[in-house]
Amino acid sequence: MPLELEHEPVVARLLRELPAGGASPYDFGEFQRRARMPPAGAARMASARALVATAVIAVAVCATATRLGPVERPLPPHPATAAVQPGEETVSRNEDVYMERWLSSLPREPALVHVGTRSAVETLEDDIAQVDDLVSAARAGRTPAAGVQPLLAERAQLVNSLVQVRYAETLADASR
Amino acid sequence: MTRLFEITVPDDLRVRACAGEEGARQAIYAAVAPATFSLIRRIVGQTSAAEDVFQDTMMILFERLPEFRREAPLGAWLRQIAVSRCLMHLRSPWRRVRLCLEGGDGEGALASTLVTAALPPELIDVERALAALPATARAVLWMYEVEGYSHAEIAEAFGRSVSFSKSQLARAHVKLRAWLEPQGSRPTCLLS
Repeated sequence: MPLELEHEPVVARLLRELPAGGASPYDFGEFQRRARMPPAGAARMASARALVATAVIAVAVCATATRLGPVERPLPPHPATAAVQPGEETVSRNEDVYMERWLSSLPREPALVHVGTRSAVETLEDDIAQVDDLVSAARAGRTPAAGVQPLLAERAQLVNSLVQVRYAETLADASR
Repeated sequence: MTRLFEITVPDDLRVRACAGEEGARQAIYAAVAPATFSLIRRIVGQTSAAEDVFQDTMMILFERLPEFRREAPLGAWLRQIAVSRCLMHLRSPWRRVRLCLEGGDGEGALASTLVTAALPPELIDVERALAALPATARAVLWMYEVEGYSHAEIAEAFGRSVSFSKSQLARAHVKLRAWLEPQGSRPTCLLS
């Protein structure tokens, strides 16, 4: 495919033609003034930390509230348990009560979490590139075909996984 | 236009700058600042973030100038510092958190921040396509194709494998090709 063969040198040439200089963002006086100030990055980072901490706490509170649902009143004591004198409570009864309370606190439907595929795709592509390197190295070292075969099988599995992820992406896009 | 790694400064200027002479420092700043900022902006993308990285880089330059051993041009030494600071910025967890909070990877918005005035149209396209790449792919592409780093050097700079560098470069080329090709000639069955 001539287009693919020509693409990389052409792009490389165009990239090298981009201007290397241009203007400084600011002059030396401004550089010195900024150098005397506390680092801008530190100030920005402090505000970012505060923002992130607030966001994390808010998300955690919302998630907890969503999962636990409305606040429940304590269960009334079981008559059998109430009749028992203090100190003679049966452990098994308490466990039953707490288990029932815990089960009733669970959501009826499992939580659905939507995760992007970008990370998976990049990992798979990196893995395929790594296997390709190993195959090339094995072939250059004149490794017998039997030695290369497991690598090729591994590569086929990775490519298959990548195709599945891409297919899932396509289906998800189509359903939107 | 001279690339950063080609820039040299006279020895006496460097010595005077090391001694704290203001004029010498100003002259060195004037010599290296434009190319340094250009490199940082191309790797980092956003101008505001690039200014922070640039400030850090120039401060490190003047702090460590007495350690410069003249084994390479001053620009090449400064380029190492600049690239290292850029990659630290890209790896920063705060940057990732900010991108998450902003939604998406935020890379698409970078094109508008680049100064593209006074460039031929084909270079404006390349500048925009470069800015639209994900930050890691853009950094690898720039380091390999323009700065002349090898895959092994890029892998070492990122703390990753050579395969990582190769796959990022291939990914960047695929995206650039999709961006730069005329609509009619694009393949109809692309996986990416």
